[in-house]
Amino acid sequence: MKALPFILAAVAVVLLVRFGLRRIGRGRSSRLGGLPGGLRGRRLLGDTGLVAGREIRERLRGRVFRVVTIILFAVVAAAVVIPTIHTGTTTRQKVGVVAGPPALDSELQKLATAVGLRVELVHEPDLSAARAALSAGYLNMVVDGSGTILVENPISDTDTSAGARYVRAVATALGAQQAFARAGLTPEQAAAVAEAKPWPVESVHPSKGATTTEEATALIGVILIFIILTQYLSWILMGVMEEKASRVIEVLLATVRPGQLLAGKVAGIGAVALLQAVSLVAFALVLAKVVGANLVQGAAPLVVAATLVWLVLGYAFYSWVYAAAGSLAERQDQVQSLVLPLSAPLIFGYIVSLIGVSSGSASLLVKVLAYLPPTAPFAMPTLVGFGEATWWQFLLSVAVSVACTALVALVAARVYRTAVLRTGGRVRLRELVPTLGK
Amino acid sequence: MLEFDGLSRRFGPVTALDDLSFSVPSGQVVGFLGPNGAGKTTTMRAVFGLTDLDAGSVRWNGVPIGATQRRRFGYMPEERGLYPNMLVADQLGYLGRLHGMDRHSAAVATKQWLERLDVADRSTSKVETLSHGNQQRVQLAAPLVHDPEMLVLDEPLSGLDPTGIDAIGEVLVEQARAGRCVLFSSHQLDLVEDLCESVAIIDRGRLVARGTVDELATSGARRLAVRVDGDRQGSWAQGIPGVTVSEIDGGEVRLVLDDSTDSDVVLDAARSAGRVTEFVFVRRRLSEVFRETVGQ
Repeated sequence: MKALPFILAAVAVVLLVRFGLRRIGRGRSSRLGGLPGGLRGRRLLGDTGLVAGREIRERLRGRVFRVVTIILFAVVAAAVVIPTIHTGTTTRQKVGVVAGPPALDSELQKLATAVGLRVELVHEPDLSAARAALSAGYLNMVVDGSGTILVENPISDTDTSAGARYVRAVATALGAQQAFARAGLTPEQAAAVAEAKPWPVESVHPSKGATTTEEATALIGVILIFIILTQYLSWILMGVMEEKASRVIEVLLATVRPGQLLAGKVAGIGAVALLQAVSLVAFALVLAKVVGANLVQGAAPLVVAATLVWLVLGYAFYSWVYAAAGSLAERQDQVQSLVLPLSAPLIFGYIVSLIGVSSGSASLLVKVLAYLPPTAPFAMPTLVGFGEATWWQFLLSVAVSVACTALVALVAARVYRTAVLRTGGRVRLRELVPTLGK
Repeated sequence: MLEFDGLSRRFGPVTALDDLSFSVPSGQVVGFLGPNGAGKTTTMRAVFGLTDLDAGSVRWNGVPIGATQRRRFGYMPEERGLYPNMLVADQLGYLGRLHGMDRHSAAVATKQWLERLDVADRSTSKVETLSHGNQQRVQLAAPLVHDPEMLVLDEPLSGLDPTGIDAIGEVLVEQARAGRCVLFSSHQLDLVEDLCESVAIIDRGRLVARGTVDELATSGARRLAVRVDGDRQGSWAQGIPGVTVSEIDGGEVRLVLDDSTDSDVVLDAARSAGRVTEFVFVRRRLSEVFRETVGQ
């Protein structure tokens, strides 16, 4: 039942989007004087809404969208569920015990509970029988009371599964108990030593609060932002180019202003991107709640929210740039030559942030990139994942991004307006410079 | 009435429009003619604000054209002008709605026009899957869906088979009869002559002829159509003072006579070359008007 709020939220998002689409599609029915029958007043969002509505309908209907969405949902499901299968509390392991005192059984059960594992102890008559059972896959590990632990395959230091953690815990605890016995400690003394806790370490500055969960969420978020931005920005680029190449742009601009057309395209494709991202996140959160994954614990929801915010801001910033670039080309090969310079800052920000997340600490470069609009969509969620962004730093970066986006949109709209009707080859930016000020 | 008033436009060293002025009355199909690069497309684009003008203005019923007027016009550009991947009916409905129609009216009009142009069975097909002729029919339906007051069509007949030409020509005439203003460009002069009440001919951005087809056909020098057995190339007419060979078409020689030339002189020359089977005063063909006005 804990998942109910998330399910309701997901349903609400879907209903809102459907309602919004219907509003865009239906429009208002006020009539304008002087227009012939059937010609009606402009809709709530005017021509921009109509253009956006077409983009949404066409994109949702496209096979590419459906296939990519299914793949993304599958990847997200795998990313959420697989770790829980690996570390799940319901995992049951069979542990063979050879020549162990009765106290060993309770010790093994206690350690299993500590790492979230359920174990079934199987007493084997001798070590060779236990070894055979282990090799046959009947047992997961064997504890030999004489002082050896057997596992089927070596366990690496980076293996954080419950089984691996259990083996390490058993090895450490039994080794310590053996040492206590050799030192001549009474059981009470040994228990007191075993329960020793390290002294707390306090820092002058407050705790950063970053944990593996938040970092992992940030990692998934950065990858999600990159995939979605790459996909939808290429749609913008290709969409604008195709309208120019097919000359449908002339028919559209005969009745719609360039700014409205551009805004409608950006908003429509952006709405589809956001719908996909929100659906994925809602799906991930609900699934995480159901299977008990870490995604909804600690500060991870904050990282998820930051990811969505920066997805929107990143799209808003780049969409204008890609639209303006698309208006310069009228052939596929011309578009290809534009893709590399356009995607360079995107890829740079992504890779630097990815390395930052993977390395476990935010480098100075990531901290700087978090305030630059082209790279902030990746760097800032990374900082949030590390707990190294305060609320005012986050808002400052948002403000910088919004301001730069407004500026970029202004210039892009002028480039688009001037270039989109020029045919006969790729338009060079320097050709447009004299006309941009007009 | 659509009025072009003193339009001028230069693209670098090229003069596309040079003080171009003429008007297109409602209720007529007006042919817009000119050689390649004469400025026809630039003129048509100027109606819809798709090109900046260095000087001049385009007016509709005396008022400079703005966004409100353009919403009531229909425009068909020369090349495609449709989304290749969009379904035919969706596309027409969308364009109708961009011109201010509500969803229902746009759907009804789309259905009617697709039936009228005989492509109703392809309404759920993507445009790119249609034949060239059917694409052109859909292309024509696009500016008609919203029941425009004026139609501006750039080369609507190019590449069509005779059936397609008849279908589209019929629609254009029907629209003009209904009081719409119809301006279309074409290089198929015979078709223009059949379809249009009047024509405007431009060359190098300037108007070189304007009038009804009848006026242009009957104006200018007298002309004769002569057919002489045994001389299909009209060599007998070469060298007659005051006579110019205008066209030779299937053995019929069309001659232009200046004011001082007596037609009897021509008849004598023809008789001397062979048996004369045709000798008649004729009107100017549009192709002759075109060649004579643009100097080709």
